[in-house]
Amino acid sequence: MLDYLTLTVALLAGTGLLLPLLQVFRTGKGNLAGYILAVVLGASLLLVGLFTLYPSSVPWAGSLIASDQLGGVFALVTVGVTLAVTIASFDFEKSTSNAIYYSLLAFTALGMVLLSYSQDLLMLFVSWELMSLPTYVLAGFSKTRQSNEAAVKYAIIGAMSSAVILYAISLAYGLTGYTQISAVVSGFTAHPTALAGVATLLFVAGFGFKMSIVPFHMWIPDAYEGAPTTVSTLLAAATKKAGFIAAIRVLLAITTISVVEGSVFTLANVFAILALVTMTVGNISALTQKSMTRLLAYSSIAQAGYILIGFVAFTNAPGSTAATLGLTGTVFHVINHAVMKGVAFLAAALVLLQLRRTDLGAYDGLGKRMPITAFTLTVAFLGLAGVPPLSGFWSKLILILSVANGPYTWLAVAAILNSAFSLGYYAWIIKRMYIDDGESTERVREPFWFVLVFAIMVGLIIGIGLFPQQVISFASNAAAGFSG
Amino acid sequence: MSYVLSLLIALPLVAAPFVYLATRANRRVGIYASLALSVVITLIAGYVFWQVYSTPPAGGQYLFQEKYSWISFSSFGLNYFLGVDGLSSPLLFVSALLTVLVIIGSRRLIDHHEAEYYSLIFMFEGAIVGVFTSLNLILFYIFWEIVLIPMFFFIGVWGGPRRKYAALKFIIFTFAGSTVMLLGFLYFYMGMPSPSFDIPTIQAMLQAHQIPVALEYVPLVASFIGFAVKLPLVPFHTWLPDAHVEAPSPISVLLAGVLLKMGGYGFLRISIGLFPGASAQYAWVFLVLGLFSMFYGAVAALLQRDLKKMIAFTSINHMGFVLFGAYATLISGNLLGIQGAIFQMFTHALAVGSLFMLSGYIQHQAGTREIPLLKGLGTTMPRTATVLVLGAAAAMGLPPFSSFLAEFMVIAAGISAYAVTAISVLVPVITAGYFLWMIKRTVLSPAEPGQEAHDMGWSDVVAFAVYLVPLVVLIVTSYLILTPALPVAQFLQRLP
Repeated sequence: MLDYLTLTVALLAGTGLLLPLLQVFRTGKGNLAGYILAVVLGASLLLVGLFTLYPSSVPWAGSLIASDQLGGVFALVTVGVTLAVTIASFDFEKSTSNAIYYSLLAFTALGMVLLSYSQDLLMLFVSWELMSLPTYVLAGFSKTRQSNEAAVKYAIIGAMSSAVILYAISLAYGLTGYTQISAVVSGFTAHPTALAGVATLLFVAGFGFKMSIVPFHMWIPDAYEGAPTTVSTLLAAATKKAGFIAAIRVLLAITTISVVEGSVFTLANVFAILALVTMTVGNISALTQKSMTRLLAYSSIAQAGYILIGFVAFTNAPGSTAATLGLTGTVFHVINHAVMKGVAFLAAALVLLQLRRTDLGAYDGLGKRMPITAFTLTVAFLGLAGVPPLSGFWSKLILILSVANGPYTWLAVAAILNSAFSLGYYAWIIKRMYIDDGESTERVREPFWFVLVFAIMVGLIIGIGLFPQQVISFASNAAAGFSG
Repeated sequence: MSYVLSLLIALPLVAAPFVYLATRANRRVGIYASLALSVVITLIAGYVFWQVYSTPPAGGQYLFQEKYSWISFSSFGLNYFLGVDGLSSPLLFVSALLTVLVIIGSRRLIDHHEAEYYSLIFMFEGAIVGVFTSLNLILFYIFWEIVLIPMFFFIGVWGGPRRKYAALKFIIFTFAGSTVMLLGFLYFYMGMPSPSFDIPTIQAMLQAHQIPVALEYVPLVASFIGFAVKLPLVPFHTWLPDAHVEAPSPISVLLAGVLLKMGGYGFLRISIGLFPGASAQYAWVFLVLGLFSMFYGAVAALLQRDLKKMIAFTSINHMGFVLFGAYATLISGNLLGIQGAIFQMFTHALAVGSLFMLSGYIQHQAGTREIPLLKGLGTTMPRTATVLVLGAAAAMGLPPFSSFLAEFMVIAAGISAYAVTAISVLVPVITAGYFLWMIKRTVLSPAEPGQEAHDMGWSDVVAFAVYLVPLVVLIVTSYLILTPALPVAQFLQRLP
């Protein structure tokens, strides 16, 4: 009997291959391809859920695939976001070649699912490329000058990060003779040579591009702004999370290594500095933006900094209470951030679609013009700022708790101050939407499919906020499974 | 297990959307329904208050306890934990009472976006009740933050000309303060031998000397920042005059009468109640800060031309008494300090609440709040003027208003801590000075010829009586507040 994961893979790959046929046999602007993909993604979500509940070995994959809950969390999150993006695209992506668009989305989803479960460096790299290549095309899909520029920039940086990862893999293989992550890690731990340290740093850099960690973040605002906003949603809320699962699988296994033997240059310190710089740069830059997509891009960078806090707690003292809290917080924040940032980007997409503007001036008085969108953005922003009792509060709480008392208390202080600071721009937008007067008070249509996605995601933000137990348990079990 | 406190929190929060719909459909129905609902909530709060008075819980014990596990995974546990004692029950009651008065007062002073306004009032009330009844630090923090959201909109939507600036300044200041406070809690939690966020559990550990004093310093400083911003303590007060000047008057009543109490409550319940060792060591610092705030608030009030700003600085002055009294008890062991602080919070809420509401009426009827421009209120608006004089008398602590008793108790405790703090008697003197000067200029001055003014109606006079009559009654029946406050004071004083 086939296992659920194989079914998912077959389903997504088949859909991705067959959807372009619609392009051949059909002309016009129908949404058929989108509806098919939405159904397929819904089914995949169900199948991945079943696979998480009833894990089984995947016979064709040998030791390439780990059928654990951690992979399940990331597969669910990335497929879920892709589903939301697909539904929102019904109205957003009306071009005649939209069958290709949806086919590319299917391949990205497939790449992300495989990446979530990869426990072999080669499998990881192949899935990484399967996820990334379609997004290069998607970023340039609207064929405007800005979109093309974004796509080219993104593709060049993306290719560079792939090269860096590949070089790190080759170093790891050369040093240990394995591509299996656990074998590589034990090899590194047994012989912590300088080259092992270099390989580790190269992994940090390579994954860092996708995770949007400063100083590997330069492409993010341009790409998010230039790409069709639905694709930016995918980049910010899904492929970025895939970067995190790769980093967790590879880097969090290597905890004891010092990048320079016997120095303070430990992996935990590296993560701590990166976390600090990432959240601070992200928040300060976000404050000065004049376009919504750029603001969201920088806010997304800042959030990556918070997620890294869990990495610090984990690598600092593996096996301790703080480490468990840290990884739980990371996984939980990945879930919450995907929902919050996903819906915020989709709201920006709807504003762009209806008002043809991305500058912040378009948001003045939005509370009257597009009340559902404005409310959605408000909830998402308050969640991103960590205002209780929304879902973002809990995950941030756990992340900060994991470093609150110990050698990294300064990082907790920085995270808290950053949170307070970030409310400055979030509250500023909320103020513009509800308190400032816009150029018009005329109601703007809010299409059904967008409203549906908004309702589900706002429901998740508030629902997880009020009753976080189930999701926290899920994240906690996933984290516990990883740490052994 | 009792459900009264959950009901008190849930009733306004659940009702808020319905109030919105009702007011949108029909303004009168919505407002009367809001009024009825707030009266019901006040009755329930009054029942809680009465229960706490008639069977005061012993120190460290709480009535109407509710405790459920909310989140737990690996070693982390978080409870939904509520309870009241002699510290929280008066605040609970006065918050509910002020909400009724605010709804009455808003009828005339709020004239746009009413549906949103009344539903946010209930969101605010539910969150405030949550703050005063939470016995879990994280739950406390959650309600603490929810309070900010309606207040942000109150100031930003219904405020004066610079409302947008004031709203942003308010939310950023207070959010920054409270996140630092949260960090203090987290640091404390991770350092405890058997971590818990439950206040009674932590206090039991404190009594068993299981928590080292060294762990208390960081959270004490962190929570100090959170509470000092709310109280507000000079120099963390700069958001307050802006917020008050821009906020509509009914909201100023909530701001001064309820929101500031969160700061005073936090100092008593958490700064002293959970970090007693560190608090006792540095009690003199807090004492001096409180004293400085008292003087600063009084002197700054003297200089204001805007009636409302003057009252805002009076709040800073009065809330300084709370901090001063609380820490005077820690130094001297004189229980009058904490009892007086609790009493002061109650009386300040009513006295200053009435004055803020009056400033709104005066602006509405006379068109200005500038003290030098308001002339001859005694002849043009006799009823308003009478209420203004009485409210001022209550705020300056003139007997028979019980504010006199509260300030007297606090100053007495201060003197038993350090004799030199007897200079604090100057604060009521300055307060009386600026209030009398204000009355001389506005009420006793001759009216300008041709000046038109509309006095308040008798129904409004009745509403103002609800603020002021309890203050007179309480000087005779002060045991209603002081009896349940006594075990709290004893408990907090013995904790270090």
